[in-house]
Amino acid sequence: MVLIVGFVVLIAVNIIGLSVTSRRSAAFGIERIAMSAIAPFQELVTRSLRFTRDIWRHYFYLVTVARENHVLMHQLSQAVENKNQWHETDLANTRLRDLIDFQRNISERVVAAEVIGKDPSAWFKTVIIDKGEADGLTRGLPVVISQGIVGQVIEVSNHYAKVMLIVDSNSAVDSLVQRTRARGVIKGEATAQCRLDYVLRKNDVRIGDTIVSSGLDGVYPKGLRIGYVSQVIEHDADIFHEVIITPFVDFEKLEEVLVVLEVQKHDWASRK
Amino acid sequence: MSYFFNISVCLLLVILQTTIMPYLPPLDKFYDLLIPFIVYLSLSRPVRESLPFILFLGFIMDNLSGGPFGLYLTTYFWLYVGVKGITMFIQVGKRLLIIALIVAGGVLFENLISLGAFALLGSRQQFAGDALEIVTIQVLWAIFTGSLFLLFFRNAQSRLGAGFKGIYARTREQG
Repeated sequence: MVLIVGFVVLIAVNIIGLSVTSRRSAAFGIERIAMSAIAPFQELVTRSLRFTRDIWRHYFYLVTVARENHVLMHQLSQAVENKNQWHETDLANTRLRDLIDFQRNISERVVAAEVIGKDPSAWFKTVIIDKGEADGLTRGLPVVISQGIVGQVIEVSNHYAKVMLIVDSNSAVDSLVQRTRARGVIKGEATAQCRLDYVLRKNDVRIGDTIVSSGLDGVYPKGLRIGYVSQVIEHDADIFHEVIITPFVDFEKLEEVLVVLEVQKHDWASRK
Repeated sequence: MSYFFNISVCLLLVILQTTIMPYLPPLDKFYDLLIPFIVYLSLSRPVRESLPFILFLGFIMDNLSGGPFGLYLTTYFWLYVGVKGITMFIQVGKRLLIIALIVAGGVLFENLISLGAFALLGSRQQFAGDALEIVTIQVLWAIFTGSLFLLFFRNAQSRLGAGFKGIYARTREQG
């Protein structure tokens, strides 16, 4: 009986106690102490767990991204390479079209060749092309492109030939000033420019005049463009003009050329 | 093995300076890369091995160049003789400064011979300015990079030699 009463009293006290504490908004001092003591550990553990979880997730995320990145980089490099190849093909196409257009205007037999090497010396201006005796090339044949005269073949092997450019100091081309028909000889200077020698001072030569081949040297057909006058120097004691010529051909960017196999000794400009 | 190394290096250098370097603007006025190789051969290899090779090299370069035939042959031969002569008076060893100066001297010598050929061809005074610029650039390049090439040749040859010896020794052991 006492046990039952004690149990009821305990329940009543418990209910009263609960009803009293439920009305209080702030915790007692003990609760604060407990919270202050435990919360930092809770925080530490929770943050550690979150940190570990984040690292774990990020790790997998990064692994996935790295793989994806690798694949994308590979695709990008392939795309860049393809673009570059297309660009190169496009440029080659343009150059070859120019060459074919130019070839259509030439009645002589020509052979297209590719430049495969340059002179090892800085002092001499020659190039090696990938056509030789087997393709009908012989010494002395003129080499041209649509912009103008390139040079002449000076050595031939079975499948390759050496071409001396008109800027080489050994080169000489009999030429005319297109506007006034004044004659002279274009000589190489081993630089990017040439000189037009033996033009009499009585002849009119101006900056910008176009120089063409005269055809009188027996190598180059008549009427082919060579370059333009970039400087005229007058010397009082000289009977000739000193004329500096800038060639139309950019020899630094020479890639494909035409070798004229049979040069006809008549006016180049009058032919179709 | 030495012949294999010499031929490979020469082929590499000749192709490099006739196909790649002329199209790279900072290097289009670079000096003849075979000069440090000739200096290397003169300093490090016996006469019976190096001299015929140098003459062969001069012959090849003369065929590739548009200059008068014999220009490279002459240059390489006298450069070889000159370097051999220098080593009789100076202990070159691994002194980089002396090596650089020898290579630069070789480059200058080659340019002087080329200019001599130009003078014979009757070039004009206008060309002198360009010539001076080209020679200066080449000599400066040679001073700064000549010894590096020589070190590369020495290292490559010794490593290749060690590699071949190792392979030979292993083959004998297995046999």
